[in-house]
Amino acid sequence: MKMTPKIFFGGSILVWAASISIMVIFPVISMKNKPSEIWRPMTEKEKEGLKVYVNNGCSYCHSMYIRKVDWGIGAERIARPGDYYGQEPAILGSERTGPDLSQEGGEHTDDWHKAHFINPRFTRPMSVMPSWEFLGEDEIEKLTAYIQSLGGKDADLRIARQKYWHKQAIEAYKAGPDSNIRWLHSKIPDGWRKMPNPYPATEASVSRGKNMYMKFCINCHGPVGDGNGRAAPYLNPPPLNFTLLRRHLEDDKYIGGILYYQIMNGITGTSMPYFKKDLESEKIWDISNFIAKEFIGYTDSDTEPKGIDASYESEKEKE
Amino acid sequence: MTDNFRTGNSPNFQEGGLRGFFSKNSALAFIVAGSAWFIVGTLYGLFSAIHLMAPEFFNNIPALVFGRVRPSHVNTVLYGFVVTTLIGLGMYYTPALLKTKLWSEPLGWVSLFLWNITVLSGPVFFSMGMSQGREYTEYLWPFDVTFMIAIVTIIINLVMTIIHRKEYVLYVSIWYFVASFIWIGGSYFIGNVMWRPSTGALPGILDSIFLWFYAHALPGLLLTPLAIGAAYFIIPRVTKTPLFSHTLSIVGFWTLVTFYSHIGGHHLLQAPIPHWLKTMSVVDSMMMFIPVIIVIVNLWMTMRGRGNLIMADPAAKWVAMGLIWYLIVGAQGSIQSIPQIQKVTHFNNWTVAHAHIAVLGFSGFIALGGVWHVIPLITRRKLYSQRLANLQFGLVMIGLTGFFLVLTIAGLIQGEAWYNGETVYRVLPQLQPYMILRTIFGLFIISGALVGFYNLIRSIRKPKEYPYISASHAVIIETQKNPEI
Ligand code: HEC
Ligand code: HEC
Ligand code: HEM
Ligand code: HEM
Repeated sequence: MKMTPKIFFGGSILVWAASISIMVIFPVISMKNKPSEIWRPMTEKEKEGLKVYVNNGCSYCHSMYIRKVDWGIGAERIARPGDYYGQEPAILGSERTGPDLSQEGGEHTDDWHKAHFINPRFTRPMSVMPSWEFLGEDEIEKLTAYIQSLGGKDADLRIARQKYWHKQAIEAYKAGPDSNIRWLHSKIPDGWRKMPNPYPATEASVSRGKNMYMKFCINCHGPVGDGNGRAAPYLNPPPLNFTLLRRHLEDDKYIGGILYYQIMNGITGTSMPYFKKDLESEKIWDISNFIAKEFIGYTDSDTEPKGIDASYESEKEKE
Repeated sequence: MTDNFRTGNSPNFQEGGLRGFFSKNSALAFIVAGSAWFIVGTLYGLFSAIHLMAPEFFNNIPALVFGRVRPSHVNTVLYGFVVTTLIGLGMYYTPALLKTKLWSEPLGWVSLFLWNITVLSGPVFFSMGMSQGREYTEYLWPFDVTFMIAIVTIIINLVMTIIHRKEYVLYVSIWYFVASFIWIGGSYFIGNVMWRPSTGALPGILDSIFLWFYAHALPGLLLTPLAIGAAYFIIPRVTKTPLFSHTLSIVGFWTLVTFYSHIGGHHLLQAPIPHWLKTMSVVDSMMMFIPVIIVIVNLWMTMRGRGNLIMADPAAKWVAMGLIWYLIVGAQGSIQSIPQIQKVTHFNNWTVAHAHIAVLGFSGFIALGGVWHVIPLITRRKLYSQRLANLQFGLVMIGLTGFFLVLTIAGLIQGEAWYNGETVYRVLPQLQPYMILRTIFGLFIISGALVGFYNLIRSIRKPKEYPYISASHAVIIETQKNPEI
């Protein structure tokens, strides 16, 4: 075969055009473009938030679709084509330096987002997300509106739930610290309340718990557990002061189960996130041991009622 | 005949005053610009790397926030360093292989100007928080236009050069070089959705099909043909042998454009796009190994038995290493297109490692080799320093190899942990040591960029008394002509 200019130019253009028709034009014609059941139109403010998102390159760290293999935030909904209906641009993203955001709406309260945008390490101490304080209040508000809309109608449901409990949490908080804690505990299922920490607060357990506390909680609840972390000024209600819990033991005995449940489940309506996806049981019990020993100054760990001791526990540590 | 390689660049390429300068040298200007962008682009890479290592290092500085410096890095190294340099090489070797001059040097300067305006617009506007945001198509619409005009003027210049050629045969380098602009011109317009200036995007999920069609046309139909063209030019000249096989060149060329233009979907294997599109891109990604291996075999057989010539030549060494990276990239690429593998490798630093050995290792190495090969031909004098060229090779090689290892490991850590159900946040602390190492290896690459720029400038501005070398290399074009053509 001789590569004459005719063959060369003609062939190059032809083959390329053929690919374009298959890979680009054909999808244009054949792909159905219908909203999915969770889709809803974006408000003006949310659209402006999307612009801020696009212009500032959030998409280099955050993806916008959940796959079958995923576990983390948003994993309840595997992405559908119709979720992106009319969104322009719908940047799916190619990297997850940070978590997927396609279902982020309603995961957190607005005040959590505000503190997080001003400095992500306020709410997430190990975060590598940049601080966006320089964007100014106005842009951060737009961004928050956009983020809270992610997930469409599902997000709206989550937001409604956040708002409902937010109102109650605020009221409880205004009624004073002790009634606030009583209110918090009244929402915990009974079984969890009358439950000690089943695992001994050994030195090792407490120090593992401390490590986790530094990585997850310290900038809200503070280095001494009094609720005065760096994020506190932005949060309403503010993070709980653990030292008050001494007065609120269930049956004057139990606190381990309460701590576990609150850490696992979070307190919807407040900025207290759930840690169920981040921390498995070993780590949550260790943190509870740490909080109990270090900040509350009392531990119910390894007391009755309890079942058969786990095989790793040693007798000596128990004294 | 001895004039073949002087095309527009006589030994006194510096003479003739300002007007004289602009009536030649556009190829040289592209090369110099490319080396300068190498420095700028890798510095932006450094800022990005520092952020991931220590996120409060540049806290709250708008122009240095990660989301803005990362696109500045990626676009500047891709379009600014690699593509600009490779265009310069082609603007030199195309007329040389056709035994003529570039049709219009002033038009070449126009292309250069528009091209560099486009590249410059990246860091300038991204740092102010203005970007179209879709990866690899971030440039704002006015600069999409300058991009397109630059491409069109280059095409016109090359077509006219081909029409006015004195050598009948079109050598394989020319196919690749000229075709890449035709392909990228069309793909850029479509992939950038240039008919919607405000967002540069289509509404809905369809947009991602356009985007990733383009995002794989960029490496596949621009970087790859540009780099292969330069490699096909340099290797036979250094080994002083004809190209191993003309047939392989032909097959390699047509399979490249056939397969490469079908694989954009492999970036979206787990996204909600039509199934047939995914299947097609996976199959074609496997097939991509054919054009890769053809180029490798063809050039390797050309080099066979002449490794000493390659190793002794500061330029050819880069090119040969670039081909090795190409083999690795191609093999890795085909493997990571398999959906089962991508469950783990997608979304993390594994891909960033692939991107660096592809863009810097394959096309960047060949571009740098091209610089050191072509500069003596343009200036007609030896390089200022072969040792500096070798030092640069060592620095970039250490940096990139380290990059590849460190990021691949980091990627596997992320991918496996997520697959096991750990959250993204939980894995962050495990990555930090690798992010620190990446920054350190990055410094090697940046040092390489600085050393190279210094060497380039000194080579161009060498004192007059430095002896000119003879034009004996002109003979070699005859051997590049394969009898069967
Ligand atoms: C350097 C990469 C990076 C960039 C750029 C980035 N993020 Fe993040 N983002 C992260 C990481 C890492 C996390 C996880 C830790 C955390 O919550 O801070 C995160 C978490 C988040 C979360 C909380 C997710 C959750 O529920 O825990 C939101 C919301 C978010 N980012 C929004 C944004 C927005 C909006 C932008 C752009 C203005 C942005 N991010 C830019 C890395 C990044
Ligand atoms: C973004 C800030 C924030 C972070 C991070 C955070 N918390 Fe909280 N936490 C709160 C707020 C706010 C409350 C209380 C809200 C109220 O008073 O209604 C709370 C309440 C609690 C409670 C409830 C106590 C009770 O008796 O009901 C526990 C336990 C707790 N946090 C533990 C933790 C632990 C452990 C971590 C880290 C793994 C953590 N928190 C991280 C903000 C935070
Ligand atoms: C000329 C040489 C280089 C080229 C061609 C290059 C190319 C690229 C490309 C194509 C990407 C995008 C990757 C992706 O999206 O998957 C990227 C990202 C990146 N590069 Fe480079 N790069 C070069 C040098 C450097 C150097 C020297 C450093 C560090 C000092 C660096 C640090 C980074 C960082 C931190 C990212 C972002 C990764 C992320 O988002 O996780 N690069 N580079
Ligand atoms: C030759 C065969 C090749 C194949 C089959 C291939 C395959 C792939 C695949 C599957 C991905 C996506 C990975 C993921 O997101 O999980 C990818 C990413 C990438 N490839 Fe290749 N590749 C090849 C060659 C090249 C070459 C030659 C270059 C550049 C010169 C290149 C540059 C890139 C870049 C920059 C990315 C990152 C895209 C992003 O931002 O996510 N590849 N490749």
